[in-house]
Amino acid sequence: MSWRWSVLLAAAACTALVVILAKGFGKDPHQVPFMLAGKPAPAFSLQKLDGSGKVTLSELKGHPVVINFWATWCGPCKVEHPVLDWGYRQYGRQAEFLGVVFEDTVENSRAFLKQSPTPFPQLVDPQSQTAVDYGVAGVPETYFIDAQGTIRGKHVGPLSLDALTARIKDLVQPVAQAR
Amino acid sequence: MGSALPLAILLSTALADFAPQQAGSEPLEPALEARVQRLGKQLRCAVCQGLSISDSPASMARAQLDKVRAMVSEGKSDEEIRDYFVARYGEWVLLQPEAHGVNWLVWLGPVALLLIGFAVIARQLQKKPAAAPQASTEQQAKRPVQAPGDEDEYLARVRAELDR
Amino acid sequence: MNSTLGYGLILAGLACAGFGAVVGIATGMAGRISGLAWVRRAVVGFFVCMVAANLLMVFALLTHDFSVKYVAHVGSRSTPTVFTVVSLWSALEGSILFWGAILGAYVLAFSVAFRKEQSRYVSLALGMMMAVGVFFAFLIAGPANPWTPMSPVPLDGPGPNPLLQNHILMVVHPPMLYCGYVGMVVPFGIATAALLGGQLGEAWTGSLRRWTLIPWTFLSVGIILGSWWAYAVLGWGGYWAWDPVENASFLPWLTATAFIHSTMVHERRKTLKLWTLSLVLATFLLTILGTFMTRSGIFNSVHSFTQSDIGPTFLSFIAILLVFSIALLSARGHLLIPEGQIQSPLSRESAILVNNLLFVGVTFTVLLGTLFPLVTEAVKGVRISVGEPYFNKMSVPGGLAILFLMGVGPALPWGEADRRLIGKQLLIPLATAAAVLAVCLALGLRGVLPLLTFALGGFVAAINIRELVVPARIRISQHGEAPWTALFRSASRARRRFGGYVVHLGMVVILVAIAASHSYVTRTSGTVRIGSALKVGDYQVKLLGFDEGVEPHRTWRAAKMELVGSGEVLRPRMNFFERSTDPIGTPAVKSTPLGDLYLSLMALSEDGQSATLNAWVFPLVGWIWWSIPILVAGALIAMWPQRQSRRAMAPAIGAAASSSSKLRETA
Repeated sequence: MSWRWSVLLAAAACTALVVILAKGFGKDPHQVPFMLAGKPAPAFSLQKLDGSGKVTLSELKGHPVVINFWATWCGPCKVEHPVLDWGYRQYGRQAEFLGVVFEDTVENSRAFLKQSPTPFPQLVDPQSQTAVDYGVAGVPETYFIDAQGTIRGKHVGPLSLDALTARIKDLVQPVAQAR
Repeated sequence: MGSALPLAILLSTALADFAPQQAGSEPLEPALEARVQRLGKQLRCAVCQGLSISDSPASMARAQLDKVRAMVSEGKSDEEIRDYFVARYGEWVLLQPEAHGVNWLVWLGPVALLLIGFAVIARQLQKKPAAAPQASTEQQAKRPVQAPGDEDEYLARVRAELDR
Repeated sequence: MNSTLGYGLILAGLACAGFGAVVGIATGMAGRISGLAWVRRAVVGFFVCMVAANLLMVFALLTHDFSVKYVAHVGSRSTPTVFTVVSLWSALEGSILFWGAILGAYVLAFSVAFRKEQSRYVSLALGMMMAVGVFFAFLIAGPANPWTPMSPVPLDGPGPNPLLQNHILMVVHPPMLYCGYVGMVVPFGIATAALLGGQLGEAWTGSLRRWTLIPWTFLSVGIILGSWWAYAVLGWGGYWAWDPVENASFLPWLTATAFIHSTMVHERRKTLKLWTLSLVLATFLLTILGTFMTRSGIFNSVHSFTQSDIGPTFLSFIAILLVFSIALLSARGHLLIPEGQIQSPLSRESAILVNNLLFVGVTFTVLLGTLFPLVTEAVKGVRISVGEPYFNKMSVPGGLAILFLMGVGPALPWGEADRRLIGKQLLIPLATAAAVLAVCLALGLRGVLPLLTFALGGFVAAINIRELVVPARIRISQHGEAPWTALFRSASRARRRFGGYVVHLGMVVILVAIAASHSYVTRTSGTVRIGSALKVGDYQVKLLGFDEGVEPHRTWRAAKMELVGSGEVLRPRMNFFERSTDPIGTPAVKSTPLGDLYLSLMALSEDGQSATLNAWVFPLVGWIWWSIPILVAGALIAMWPQRQSRRAMAPAIGAAASSSSKLRETA
């Protein structure tokens, strides 16, 4: 009798194994969880790259904010550069656009921006402390913060025109309607 | 190194697309720095394949470790630092699973297996064979079992020798 | 042209394997040997096709034939030749192709070794191995096809992953590992043949053991080389990260080691049959599971490839194997009923039984830990990590228990032990342990776990060395032989025993080295300007300046660090490859018998005046790699075939069904 039970147990264990493995398909194992969606955006006060002063998040309360983390050594960041430019021109009145340099030197960033300037402020993040504060796990990542200061979500990877438009439209709606 | 200048130019252009490897923050005094490294061993680097932020050479890991260092020097407790990272990256950032709910399976499963296994073995060993020769257990010890293969008479003598 | 030819070879290989599998299993099950000659020919055909396909791929890589998809994927004109050859196994499709060649080689070797054997069991075994060959040939022909012609043909390729071009060890580690992994097909074939055929003869258990020992040796060397590579190349100062793919290679090693011990009890006592056979089947299953884990893309790992069609195909194969194994074991349950019994808890048999349980426990722990993130994601939708802290905590107790058994097992006799006698025999080993402990405490070493490991190491070494030396001493006293002759002859008379104890000594070296390098490591990090020094442990390293270089496939920058006192210059460096934005560091390691000084360059300042380094001193870590000769020597001694036939051995029952054959242990 115990023979049968052992076989059943072995069969059950093996079935569980195969099911667990099968469920792993289709998921991206390299995706990093993001927990700050729906939470208040962490405060920061960072110097602008052009040296013209500081930008403090609390001062921007009442306006939606789009924060883009990027770096000069990141190919996809350069690809999304014109998308963000366009986004600013379209929606710059509705939302504040900010760029934050991630793990890069001031010289590199200034050199890059001299060649391809952006119309919105670029900020220096010493030792990427603000990036860690926001749960950044690579570049480019773009965070969308609503007028109340809550993070609606983030876009991992280079933005496309459609994605940016959809996010901003969502951003300017109050929370109740943002379904 | 007379040709250093052209080489430097070549290198600087070749290295344009590489993350500049800047130093992290300065280590704290030894006792606190040891605590930073210990905590770092428990936290996962956000861009690596399973390395801790203490072990990883990636710039993101350095940034995370700098954050740990800053928090340690502010006097935050270990739990507060872990909670900080979990609030941003989820439980995924902890390199060993917190013991609650389903996670108990991974901590207790192996222990349970071993305990059950030992219990089964103990029961099997306790079941003395009914028709086993009760007498001459000493004889059995003196006369080692002749196993097929390499344990021949010579080795039997070795055993006898050892038994002396 | 290469594409078509290569693909044709694969299809031919698939045909040979299919033919061999069908004929082998069908005739074997029917009890006939009529098909055996054809099965052998099919094995040769499979081997030829696979090896030819591999050679053709290497040719395509070397001639930069970018019309072949795989070459376009990993080839590059700027890669040095040796790494171009290595790129055969550096990416997914090529590695499966390589697997096929090694599979063909192993099956052919088995067929040749048993060429004089005319039994249905050989037919069945070859048939089963060819069935596995069918799966892999199908994989190469279908989901993992490297031969697809590219159109348009690119002019150049991206080259293999930069990490794989950094060190010469990358040339040796994968082939070793593959020879270990793939080789487990042979014991699988033998075991399933015995079970299918309905008889577990003694000759077969002997072959089973020997044909597991060969891949076991390769696997051990492959795993250690892999950790040496991680240590010497990756710069994080570790050699084992409990990465899913590292675990995947470790799991079959664990069950294979358990099997090698369990089979001793099987042969002598005719018990633990279910344990032994299950361990063989589990070893093979774990190799397939391991291959799946590496190639399915569902695990976050240094080694992982992206998800592809290969995953579901592999999973189906795993499911089929699981069903087949359970069905086979339960259908042939009558073969596995123990004929003997373990007489007493104080005997070598029970030590091996406990050993089995411990090994299975560690295997279960590592498997559960590796799979658990998938479990929580499936059940709760939450992503968690199970990493180094968990595995280190959970494997230490099991590891120490196994270390203890490595000493107690050889000390206990077969059958029943006399308690007083055992007590007397353990006195010297225990004294050795105490002496080791005293010396360590005197040297100022502290910490329960490492000291316990060292003490146990002394205990185990004492017992194993005594078991090696005593037979020689007896020969000297009785035959008057010279010491070395006596040692040699005693080894030669009892090879399994001698080789096994030598391997035990090698394992003690590894475990002691792991304990020392883990518990007594000193670590410093800091930024130094040119001219100033960094202090780590007993060493001081001074930054002299920087070096730079350009190679076809990478540029590098090194910091010149002078070891204060000896004047030796170490050059930890950063390599910049085109394909990745983060540089890959090569650490500078100074190895001495007592430990390693390990320097890793983390950052260079922009003005070229200072460098940030991580520095470690790892005591005894080199012993881990230096144990390889000990393990290999022991394994070779254990598996070396006896010249004279074993007349003491009962004639193989397995041959009963076929014509009589003098079954020698030629394999």
